[in-house]
Amino acid sequence: MTGLKKKTALTRAGIIESLQFRLSTAVMLFANLIYLALVYFLWKAIYDSSGVDVVNGMTFYDTMIYLILATAIFNLLEMFIVWDMSRAIQSGEIIMHLLKPMRYRLYTFWSYSGAHVNNFFLSFVPTFIVVVVITKGAIPIGINLLYFMVSLLLALIVNFNIEMLVAPVCLYTQSTWGINIVKETVVLLLSGASIPLAFFPEGLRQAVEYLPFRAVYDIPLTVLLAKNGTDSLSGLLPKLGIQLFWCVLLSVCGNLFWNHAVKKITVNGG
Amino acid sequence: MSNEVIVMKNISKQFKVLNRHEGLKGSIQDLFSRDYKIIKAVDDVSLTVNKGEIIGYLGPNGAGKSTTIKIMTGVLEPSAGEIFVDGRMPYKDRTANSENIGVVFGQRSQLWWNLPLIESFNLLRNIYLVPEKDYRNMLELYRSLVDLEPILHKPVRQMSLGQRTLSDILAAFLHNPGIVFLDEPTIGLDVSMKARIRELIRGLNEVKGTTVILTTHDMGDVDALCKRIIIIDKGRKIYDNDIEHLKSYFGSYRTLRMRLGDDSWVEQVIDEKKTDVMHVMQEMQKEHKIKDIQLQEISTEEVIRKIYEGGESA
Ligand SMILES: Nc1ncnc2c1ncn2[C@@H]1O[C@H](COP(=O)(O)OP(=O)(O)OP(=O)(O)O)[C@@H](O)[C@H]1O
Ligand SMILES: [Mg+2]
Repeated sequence: MTGLKKKTALTRAGIIESLQFRLSTAVMLFANLIYLALVYFLWKAIYDSSGVDVVNGMTFYDTMIYLILATAIFNLLEMFIVWDMSRAIQSGEIIMHLLKPMRYRLYTFWSYSGAHVNNFFLSFVPTFIVVVVITKGAIPIGINLLYFMVSLLLALIVNFNIEMLVAPVCLYTQSTWGINIVKETVVLLLSGASIPLAFFPEGLRQAVEYLPFRAVYDIPLTVLLAKNGTDSLSGLLPKLGIQLFWCVLLSVCGNLFWNHAVKKITVNGG
Repeated sequence: MSNEVIVMKNISKQFKVLNRHEGLKGSIQDLFSRDYKIIKAVDDVSLTVNKGEIIGYLGPNGAGKSTTIKIMTGVLEPSAGEIFVDGRMPYKDRTANSENIGVVFGQRSQLWWNLPLIESFNLLRNIYLVPEKDYRNMLELYRSLVDLEPILHKPVRQMSLGQRTLSDILAAFLHNPGIVFLDEPTIGLDVSMKARIRELIRGLNEVKGTTVILTTHDMGDVDALCKRIIIIDKGRKIYDNDIEHLKSYFGSYRTLRMRLGDDSWVEQVIDEKKTDVMHVMQEMQKEHKIKDIQLQEISTEEVIRKIYEGGESA
């Protein structure tokens, strides 16, 4: 497999590159602590004022575990394609990417993969272990971890495709900042990353079922926590099927859109 | 036929740009404006490049050199005309074309900013699928041509401009491409670095038979490297021939220097098509005593300047 060699080389370089930013991992962990403190007090207030222990089928404890792990996944998946691409286009650096002997989308995906690997081992795994230890048995440890890895990989691909669908918009408008904020907000809200989907009003919850964002946070977290029967294949496969569906659909759309957008560079000269 | 690595037939490239207006009011107008202007960056240029040539692609600022190179590399689509690079249409087959070319764009870098150079090389080796042995040989060749040690383990972001340029040129040749495009590779380099880079390009061209297309504003590069030059101006090709030819083509100029009786030197540029050296000397001798003479060929730089300034062309 000659193609594999190109990809693993990019992963390796990405790992070396992101290891140089030792400080940024520390900053990220610190920012997470602040964010999670905020989340803790917010949800504590919500539960206290509701007067019951179980809201929408989740205890306070469940909600916290869910949100902490969602944050860990957020750190793992975070990409800056929108920024990076718009900067590369403005500076003309994009030409050098287009001249690599790999298809641009593939090249971009694998260029980021090293950072994902790093984030997984340096941020996600430690967070997960801490949560497992502290909650003593709240998270099932078994085959669900393996399923989760598959689901997480699919989530990563879906997330990449969402980024790659949004980023080329900067070729049509100058407002990268606005585009990025909108994307970030929509993804974090509708994916269940900031509020578990169980808390959504019924109408919105059903609507979200039909959107791709759920495939990024809600599904992998459900699988990890072995909820909704996802610890058995019959419960798991439909979920992975949804993720796979979005991978395919979004990557087809992303490809078409990119092929159109790249003409802005190759025809109009950027 | 197989000897021709680049064939361009009647290539044109036009850019459509908005006619921008001044001031705040103008900027608001521009939001709704459909007032476009067409810039002909490359205008009906045909040329062929043979394997193993080093071609100096020259022209004044804004002539269309970089645009031509972008068309040849496939990052720009021509508006009209046909182009084949190694039998491929670069803009249709950019990825495949990229495997066989190396590119240096003056102020851009293809290297990974945070990686030591050796890691960038390593990565390039893998994405261009260079066999281990060829890679070792290439590094050996590099070592014989330049002093690699001071830069090999430095991250690119810590390099000086010259070191980075050198690194970028080495990176462009690393996968032993058939053709290398160098768009102003010696910009901002000191004289010794320039000399080293010229030596390197010539060495690689000789050893590997790489075809090189070089744009530059430094005629020293041209004199040191190019047998053949192509000049474009306002998008049109105005010269395509040997460098030797150039000097006679645009008038065979020479500079005659004479030392007179009072030991002072006088200089006169002579166009041998209009007058000849002996005649000038005879005229001079009528009034002065000539103790010594020197005859200098005009430099490429001066010829090119005359051409750019729209001077006397044949
Ligand atoms: N993307 C673009 N959009 C609009 N006009 C462009 C674009 N790129 C180049 N041009 C115009 O095309 C012409 C040729 O530009 P080009 O960069 O090819 O010149 P050049 O010969 O490389 O000049 P230099 O020696 O200054 O590098 C110029 O008038 C330039 O303004
Ligand atoms: Mg240029």
